[in-house]
Amino acid sequence: MINLGILRSSVGWLVLALAISIVLPLVVGVFWVHVLTEILIMGLFATSFNLLFGYMGQLSFGQAAYYGVGAYTTALMITKASIPLPLCMVASVLMAGLWALIFGYFCVRLTGIYFAILTMAFGQLVFYIIFQWYSFTGGDNGIQGIPAPLLLQDAYAYYYFTLALVIAALIVMRFITNSPFGYTMRAIRDNSDRTRFIGINIRRYMLINFVIAGMFAGLAGSLWAPFNRSIAPDLANWAHSGIPVFMAVIGGPLGFFGPLVGSVVYTFLSAFVTGFTEYWPIVIGIIIIFIVLFLPGGILGTFQQKTMPVGTNYPEKKETS
Amino acid sequence: MASRPILQVIELNKAFGGLQAVYNVSYQMESGELSAIIGPNGAGKSTFFNLITAYHAVDSGKIYFKGDDITGLPPHLISRLGIARAFQVSNIYPTLTTYENVRQAVLSQRKKTLNFFTPASRMARAETMELLDPCGLAEQANVIAGTLSQGDKKRLELAIALGNKPELLFLDEPTAGMSGEETMETMELVRRLNRERNLTILFTEHDMSVVFGFARRITVLHQGELIADGTPEEVRANEKAQSVYLGEEA
Repeated sequence: MINLGILRSSVGWLVLALAISIVLPLVVGVFWVHVLTEILIMGLFATSFNLLFGYMGQLSFGQAAYYGVGAYTTALMITKASIPLPLCMVASVLMAGLWALIFGYFCVRLTGIYFAILTMAFGQLVFYIIFQWYSFTGGDNGIQGIPAPLLLQDAYAYYYFTLALVIAALIVMRFITNSPFGYTMRAIRDNSDRTRFIGINIRRYMLINFVIAGMFAGLAGSLWAPFNRSIAPDLANWAHSGIPVFMAVIGGPLGFFGPLVGSVVYTFLSAFVTGFTEYWPIVIGIIIIFIVLFLPGGILGTFQQKTMPVGTNYPEKKETS
Repeated sequence: MASRPILQVIELNKAFGGLQAVYNVSYQMESGELSAIIGPNGAGKSTFFNLITAYHAVDSGKIYFKGDDITGLPPHLISRLGIARAFQVSNIYPTLTTYENVRQAVLSQRKKTLNFFTPASRMARAETMELLDPCGLAEQANVIAGTLSQGDKKRLELAIALGNKPELLFLDEPTAGMSGEETMETMELVRRLNRERNLTILFTEHDMSVVFGFARRITVLHQGELIADGTPEEVRANEKAQSVYLGEEA
């Protein structure tokens, strides 16, 4: 019965967050609607990254590559062939997944710092291809004038469109992380040797997860291109791969919603502080230092420790089985 | 016995650098055995387990499980064939609950781990509880495994291994770190598993009273070589075994 109470309060928080995300754009100005949209897109990006970091225990420092592939696929399809956005999104997700499959095949052979370095190396490969291939990608000029569909050209409309898609994506990822596959990821994170000895081909599972993470990063990138109207190769650069790392650390990588909380904090502060000073990186640096030193487990992790016992899926009554 | 042995090891060799950890060991087990491997520290017991379960690659030699050559297969395939092991140093999932630890093995054994959309919490409840109960872990089901006592961790180690529904089970010092009472309980459980489920079990153990009290066959390793093999009485009477091993204890 205690479990029900926890459930109630978690659901309560989610309902509250949903209500705020629906009502807030109506009471703030258009600048903040843009910020809110960015929070959602980057939150989706960070949550996809956390499938690798929080659930599989491997730090990808190249997740921006798949975000960039998603953004460029959508931008190129819209600007070169005027293909409808929904089709561009499907293509972006598949394209990001394809690259994640190719690069992931090699990355999942390594763990720890070597995994991080190899993901970064492949990420830089994507960055340099985009950067150098002027005739196709526009090189360092990027791609300008990416129109959103007529219905979504209004900032509010694009926000609610993004909200609906991000919620749908989060629900799918939530199901995946709570499924037997999701628990197998936690098992690999906790103890990969033991997981081998209970009959699991861990490389195969890690690769599947790598592809899933890449596909959701691609979806986030695809949402970004028509939102921002212009894109540049920096979207795929390693510095951009660092942002979901910051977000996951700020919010807490061990909770599903940690990276999303991280995105709220990071993106809001970035928009707010840059209004006063150009030294925004110093502010985020201080915040990271503070969190690493005083809130290990991130904002959400610390909050959950204080308010609720660790959630489990243990059946409450034996006779139910 | 006309039937094929469940395990047959032929002239197994493994060296680490200059150290010959396992030297020309041939060994055979019939289905239903409850046997022990003993030997001083560094005799090659753990290495022997590690070779059969593919934790280490063999230098030379052959391993057959129910007549099939399994030499060189990766660990996850060996596990799927029905060989499970519990480790000497407890090797569990520290951030998952006790229940989730065992459920993971059950889900893997039932090939449910590629399910992406059914909540794991709704799956394999009965099977998981059926394993936690006899291992004395039902009370601890909801506890984060990393916070369990040493004895409980070893019992969990055993429960995870059983989750694989093995036919052949290796237990590397299953009672290390347990009190005398816990040791007896655990070994009684091991004996019950062997009798009631016809589970073939091979274990190592430092405590000679446990070895001679529970194993029906004992094999002695010394510096990587098999030097004695037989019933407890035979091994007790074996001069070689006495001089290299039992003698040291006395």
